[in-house]
Amino acid sequence: MPMLIFLFLLFCYWFSGFGILTLFRIRLRPAYMVTVGLLLGVAVASFVPFLLQLLYIVITGPTVFGALLAVALLLNIPSFLRMRDSGFSVFTRPFGRVRFRVRPYEVPYWLVIGFMVFVSVWRCYYLPPTSRDALSGPETIAEYTVREQTMINSFFGLDLWSTNNQFKSPFLISLQVIYKLAGFPYGQVWLSVVFLCFTVLLYHFLRERLHPVLAGLLLLLFMMTPEIYAYTFMILYDYSNMVFFCLGLYFLWMGVSGPGRAGLPGRAVGGVGGSDGLPRDGSGSPAMVSFAGLLLGIATYIRSETLVLVVLFLPVIFWVQWRGAAGGGGKVSEGDGVKVSGGVVLRKMAVTGLFFLLPSLVGYYLPVQLYIGHYLPVHYDLGGLVNNHLSDLHPLLQRYGDIVNHLLFGTFAIHLWGYLFYITCALFVAELVFVRRFSREARFWLYAIAVVYLALGVMGFVLPMFNLTETTKRALFKIMPLLVFYLANNELLLRLSRWIAGWEVSGGEKVAAAGVVGNGAVAPKVVPATGRPGAAGAGGKKKGGSGGGSGSGGGAEQSRGSASARKKNRKQ
Amino acid sequence: MKVFLLTLISCGLVLIVLNAGYYREWFNAKPSQYWSDFLKEKDDTGDEVAVKKTRYGIVYTISMRVKEVVEKKKMPHAVILFEPNSYYRDSLKIYGNIRAPEPAVFYYYTGLEGVWTNSPDVRKANFIVRITKNKGVTLDEIKSPQQLQQILDGFKKYPPIL
Repeated sequence: MPMLIFLFLLFCYWFSGFGILTLFRIRLRPAYMVTVGLLLGVAVASFVPFLLQLLYIVITGPTVFGALLAVALLLNIPSFLRMRDSGFSVFTRPFGRVRFRVRPYEVPYWLVIGFMVFVSVWRCYYLPPTSRDALSGPETIAEYTVREQTMINSFFGLDLWSTNNQFKSPFLISLQVIYKLAGFPYGQVWLSVVFLCFTVLLYHFLRERLHPVLAGLLLLLFMMTPEIYAYTFMILYDYSNMVFFCLGLYFLWMGVSGPGRAGLPGRAVGGVGGSDGLPRDGSGSPAMVSFAGLLLGIATYIRSETLVLVVLFLPVIFWVQWRGAAGGGGKVSEGDGVKVSGGVVLRKMAVTGLFFLLPSLVGYYLPVQLYIGHYLPVHYDLGGLVNNHLSDLHPLLQRYGDIVNHLLFGTFAIHLWGYLFYITCALFVAELVFVRRFSREARFWLYAIAVVYLALGVMGFVLPMFNLTETTKRALFKIMPLLVFYLANNELLLRLSRWIAGWEVSGGEKVAAAGVVGNGAVAPKVVPATGRPGAAGAGGKKKGGSGGGSGSGGGAEQSRGSASARKKNRKQ
Repeated sequence: MKVFLLTLISCGLVLIVLNAGYYREWFNAKPSQYWSDFLKEKDDTGDEVAVKKTRYGIVYTISMRVKEVVEKKKMPHAVILFEPNSYYRDSLKIYGNIRAPEPAVFYYYTGLEGVWTNSPDVRKANFIVRITKNKGVTLDEIKSPQQLQQILDGFKKYPPIL
C-alpha cells in the first residue's frame, strides 16, 4: 500500500510540476521536463498541508491526498483547455522525442554514482531521522500532526527552552506529514526524490557543455562532497534549499541570456516578448525570469534567509535589461527598432524585478510573518537576535576570514567538501592566468559564488545566532553546485572538452591538434537543445562554442554528422 | 577503439578520485560502510522500535524504559525531570556515553512530557530520571514540592546543556 501511494504522490508531483511549467510556457527536453517537474511537484506538495493548516482544515489522509490531487488538476487547467484543440497530445508532445543513449565511457561514473544514490535512498527509507535539528522541531511536529490532525499540536505545550527548531519552515513538516500519512513511518523518502532529480539534472546540465567524460568527473566530484552527501539522507532544509536555489539561478541565467548564447537546454520558451530588454533569441524572456523567481521563492520558503540572496540578483536582471534596451537613458531602441524612452525601460525593469522578487517575498512572508506571528502559540522575536553593534565592522571581517580559513580551506574544509573547492580555485587561477578572460556565463556563476559568500558573512555579522560551524556551514551548500556550474564554463575545461570531442569524432591528428587550441573551427560544434549547431558562445571566442562535443539527447550524432561533413568538404 | 580508450580513461579517473587523499578515507568510512550496513539491514526482521533502538542508542532505550515504568504506574500526568547534562559531564564524567534527552526529543520518543532544571514548567515534575555509575538508571518519584526544591538546589551549579 505505501508503494501505491508513493506512486500516486509521484504522479501528483510530476503533474503539478508539468502544470507549472506549462503555465510559464516553458518547454524543455524530456529529461528536464520530468526532473524539474518532479522537483516543482515536491515544492507544491510541501505547501499543501501548510495551506490546509492556514485554512484550519484538519490534516488527514483524505484531505491531504485530495488536496494534492486537486492542486495538480488546478495547475493543469490551461492544458485541459488546450486539450479541446490538440487532444491528449498536450501531455505527450513534450515527451515525443525521448532518446536515451548511453555511451560506454559514461558507465563507470554511473556505476559509482548509482551506488552512492542507492545507499542514500536505502538509508532514507530504512533509518529514522536522527539529526537533532529535525527531532527537536519539525519531525516531532510532523509526528504529532499525524496523530492530532493539526500542525499546531501538543508539541507546543512542551518546554522548548533548548530549541528554536519549531520556528523553522513548514516545508519539512508538510513533506514528513505526507509521507507518514502514506505509510512510511519515518517519512523522508521525498528527500530521495529531490536528490535523484537533482543528480540527473546536474548531469544533464553538465553534459550540455562538456564531454561526458568531463561531465561525469565533475558530477562525481560533486557527489563526493562528504557533507552534502550526508544531507541526501538526513532530512533537513539545507539540501533542498541548495537544489532550488541553484535551479533558480540556472533558469535566471537562461532568462537573461537565452540558449543561443548559453547553449542551454531550453528548447522553446514562451514568454511575453516585447520591450523588456531581455534577449529575444530563444529562451530569454520575462517569463523565464519569473520562473527563476518562483524557484528562488521556493528556496526562500525553505530557508528564509535566502531572500537576502535573491535581492542581490536583481542587479543582474536590471543590468541585462538596461544594456539590452539601450545601454543608457533617453531615447533608446529596441530590437525591433521601435524607439522607447528610458522611463519606459525603467518601468519594465521594475515590473520584471517585481515578478522576480514577488515569490520570494511570499515565500518569506507565509512561514515567517504569517505562520509564526499569527498561528503558532509561541512567538519568535527575531529583532532581539540582531547584533546591536553594527557600527563595529571588525566581527564582519573576522567572519569573512573564518569562512575562508575554516570552512573553505584547510583540513576541516576538506572533510566537508572534499577537494572540490581546491580544484575550482586551481582552474579559476589557471583561467585567469592563461586565458585572461571569462565568458559571460562563467562571470555569472562567479558573481553568484561571490554573492553567496559575501551575503553569508553579512548574515553572520547581523545575526550572531547564524553561527559559523553549523548555520553558515550548511548555508555554504549553496555554493557547491555553483562551483560545478562555473567549472562547466571554465574555458580550459571547455577547450579540453572540445579537444576530446574532436578527437573522438574525427580521428585525424590534425583535427585533434586544431581542436586543442579551442578555436572551434575544427572541433565539432556544440549542438544545444535547440538543435541549432554552433549556437553556444559562452566561451568568449568569436568562433568558439562553449560546450563539449556532445550535448545530451543526440547531440553527438549531429556533431559526428557535421564533423564528417566538414571532412568531406576539406577533401573536395 | 576511441570509445574504448575513453572508457578506460573514465575508469582511470573514477579510480583516481576514489583513491585520492581524503576521498579514499571518506568513501571507505561512509558509502562503503553504509553498503555493509545495508547487507545486514536488508535481512533484519526487527520492528520499528528495534530499528530506533539501534539508531538512537542508549538515550532512546532509557526513554522507552521510562515510558514503560510510567505506564505501569498508571500516572497519566507524569512529568519527568532530567538531570543536567553538565552534571554528567563535570561530576560523573559520563557525558560522552550517556546524556539526558531534550524535552522535545523525549516527547518524540515517548509522548511523555519532560523538563530540564531551568524549565518554566519544572514545578510540574513528579518523576526524576537519575543516572549513577553504580545503580545505572532509575526513575524516582518526586513526592513533594520540598523534595523537588531540594533536587533543584542540588543541581544549581550545573546549568542544562545539550
